[in-house]
Amino acid sequence: MKLALWNYQAPAHVGVSKAAASFSGVHCVVRAPKGDGYGTIMLAMFERLGVLPPLSFCAMSEGTLAGEAANLPTLLREIDERHAPELIVVTRSATALVLQEPLDGEVAMMEKASVKAEILFAQTHPIRDDETSAFAKTTCEIVAHFAQDVARSERPSVNIIGPSLLGFHDRANVESLRRAFEAVGIEINAVLPLGASPADLRNVGRAWINVATAYELAKPTLEYLRDRFGTPYARELPYGEAGTTRFLREICAICEIPSSRIAHAARDAKLLWYARTVDAHALSHKRVAVFGAPTAVAGIARVLHDELDMPIEFVGTYLHSGGAWLRERVSDIANDVLVTDDYREVSRAIDRTRPDIVFGSQMERHSASAFGVPCAVVSQPAHILNFPLGYAPFMGYDGANHIGDLVNQTQVLGLEHHLIETFGPRGQGRFAEAAPEPAGGESLATASAENEAGAPQWDPAAEKLLGRVPFFVRKKARANVERYARERSLATIDESVVLRAREHVGG
Amino acid sequence: MYSPGVERDDFCSLAPIGWLHHKMQDSFFLVVGTGSCQGFLQTALGVMIFAKPRFATAVLDEDDLGGADPLTGLRPLVADIVREHAPAAIFLASTCTPEILKMNVGGCAAPLEAEFGVRVYPCRLDGFDPSYTQGEDHVLQSMIERAPETDEQNLVILGCLSAIEEAEIRIECAAMGLPEPAFLPDESALALPAIGKNTVLAPTHPYLYGSASYATRERGCPMHKTIFPYGPDGARAFYETLAAAFGKTISYEAREREAWAALEPTIAPLRGKTIAFASDAMVELPLARTLRAAGAHVPLVSTPNVYKKFHARETATLADVEILEHPDRFDLFARLHAVRPDVVVANLNIANALEGMGFAVKWSTELTFQPIHGFSGASSLFGMFATTLRRHEALAARRERDGTAAAPIDLDFFRQPVRA
Repeated sequence: MKLALWNYQAPAHVGVSKAAASFSGVHCVVRAPKGDGYGTIMLAMFERLGVLPPLSFCAMSEGTLAGEAANLPTLLREIDERHAPELIVVTRSATALVLQEPLDGEVAMMEKASVKAEILFAQTHPIRDDETSAFAKTTCEIVAHFAQDVARSERPSVNIIGPSLLGFHDRANVESLRRAFEAVGIEINAVLPLGASPADLRNVGRAWINVATAYELAKPTLEYLRDRFGTPYARELPYGEAGTTRFLREICAICEIPSSRIAHAARDAKLLWYARTVDAHALSHKRVAVFGAPTAVAGIARVLHDELDMPIEFVGTYLHSGGAWLRERVSDIANDVLVTDDYREVSRAIDRTRPDIVFGSQMERHSASAFGVPCAVVSQPAHILNFPLGYAPFMGYDGANHIGDLVNQTQVLGLEHHLIETFGPRGQGRFAEAAPEPAGGESLATASAENEAGAPQWDPAAEKLLGRVPFFVRKKARANVERYARERSLATIDESVVLRAREHVGG
Repeated sequence: MYSPGVERDDFCSLAPIGWLHHKMQDSFFLVVGTGSCQGFLQTALGVMIFAKPRFATAVLDEDDLGGADPLTGLRPLVADIVREHAPAAIFLASTCTPEILKMNVGGCAAPLEAEFGVRVYPCRLDGFDPSYTQGEDHVLQSMIERAPETDEQNLVILGCLSAIEEAEIRIECAAMGLPEPAFLPDESALALPAIGKNTVLAPTHPYLYGSASYATRERGCPMHKTIFPYGPDGARAFYETLAAAFGKTISYEAREREAWAALEPTIAPLRGKTIAFASDAMVELPLARTLRAAGAHVPLVSTPNVYKKFHARETATLADVEILEHPDRFDLFARLHAVRPDVVVANLNIANALEGMGFAVKWSTELTFQPIHGFSGASSLFGMFATTLRRHEALAARRERDGTAAAPIDLDFFRQPVRA
């Protein structure tokens, strides 16, 4: 047994259903207790679907415990009749695995019966697979199920692999990439799984090249299509202005398209110019940490480092199987790659390094806020805020502009506080006192036992001086001064120690 | 044993942890289950964790599934929880997977309690109950098992209520000259009222059949046959029944009349409107009853399960209402289309899809999260329906005026225009 408080990934059956339900003409059935059905709620609520999602639960009931067989055949017939899918993908949750029902046999029986749809039993393991691997495998299985030998398309074309329902800004990412491809004269052959129909999948082999929006989700499909059709896949990631240009160059080279067309695709990109404007010069002093899904982290970290010149404190991912890939991708820009699925470890790394901005998942947003560190959400796991009504891509040229805006918006709050603190709150009664730290900052960021033991004492004047440091760097400044004092065995910190520490350590 | 429809829309019994851990501030809920249980808690309780959450999942690994002794696995986890959170009591919840494996999670409670000196209540929070709200029923039963015995006549109000709802009951009991009521649960997980054969144990939620009948069976207190205190009519009957249990005849007729008069602005828009229930909280029957008392038509009530005796006084008022127990999703939709209600109460699985079909939907989760009990909660109760109706009608009127549509997002929205 392992104690789980909060997880970056859902169980395997959620990965299967996200992938399968994203295809058009495919319906997913999960054999599980009713509690596992919260996936339908997420689909309905996050994607704001005004129709029933193509996802059904064959719920276990009290009767199941008494040995009653699953009513899978009835459910399959009902789905067949009401949704008329071409394919029904069947999977089960960990609890249903324990039940050791012969579902495969039932499905085989059904194929002979009156169900018009084809039936596929997902080859994932409800416990050994995680959400990511289950998604990746299921996408590939469904692609392989339909793919036919077809001739390459006449004009250069591309498959975009990885976007799905409940994905991270996926629909906007696809739109941004589509605009870029259109500008250089490349057709989109298929986007999968998001909205790809069986007809699209039969023609999946027409594409000249495949690209992934998330390598960890696309890898089995990329390799399958390479092995079956000889289709190459892009190595570059379409993040940032320069990144998207490198990405398009790689693709244009394969498609034998003159790279001169890329300038046209990049005509509205402003990120690189923004980096030159004096407004952005301070970014060279803003240390960042980037944590999340491997591809998003690799892409975003490179934009922040290469295009905006922001120093990288650490990068990391929750996906153990993606750790080596990420290390290789960021080896030239980050010394420290953290691979952990324990959010508390990430929180400690944020506390230890005190970056100026964190780029992470919704979890890091919460962890960072406990330390008063601003955070931009750039990766799964997402929540409802990451399903905006408007157009907010992270990939392609439009995505580059959006990342620039996000960097701006994320740091503005701190600056506003600083200005109020510096210039005083004239006329604003409630700000009459010095700006306090955000609620929870001190109490949650408890000092470690080691700190408490050897902590030097602050005298009131020094404490007051520290109070004049902007709140969002105060914690860091306090730690710096205390380290300085400890290294010199000073029992008391007075104003002069603070000033000398600042001289030595900065801050 | 109930047998559900082919495809139905309901929620997991872990959900009540959301309000129970909030109510009992010194509690900790340790759920023994799979990654799904953890995912459900994380998603359904809507909490990315700011501070230290007071619930967690002991995720079973393949050794556990292979028959390892759960006590061995739980010991270090409980040690962690005791060290980190110092709870006054731990609710040790068995879920679907231990049930299937016949893993004796409940049997670990006593040894863990002895070893760590923290009260451990074993309870079942699995998906095999008709309604998710029955998670609370199981938790309360586990507390009744530990409640001290008494022969004294006392009053215990059963069911998780907000402070404001409790205050009303306390004040009304004092006014009627009844004993000071004890509440189960109270703010501490260790606060257990004495329960014995002379206890008046009054359930406030219709989903507490299991714990109420357990008390009757094991402690001999008579089953309190009540109307549940929703709406002025329900509140009146609830208080009058309480008084009768203590041998007093008290009429709340005037009190009810005043309450309805005060509610007039809220209920006026509901009069003559049709409201149908497609929800799964097992509070549908009393809500239907009081909505009808307020002048609404309630032709159709879908509810997870009807406990014939426990719900008898509610169903007696609903003789001409079509009550569907745990129906199939599509059978229910067919009935809704036939009835054409002005408001449908539905859970989140189907709420947006029903809006997409043109219904005005009130999401059912609020039925269990809002303080809607008693005279003082009636305004909130009817307000939920009135607001839904007003908003739906106002937006529809403006769309009509402007000649605009509100086309639902469908699956084609996600298809890319490929190969023009």
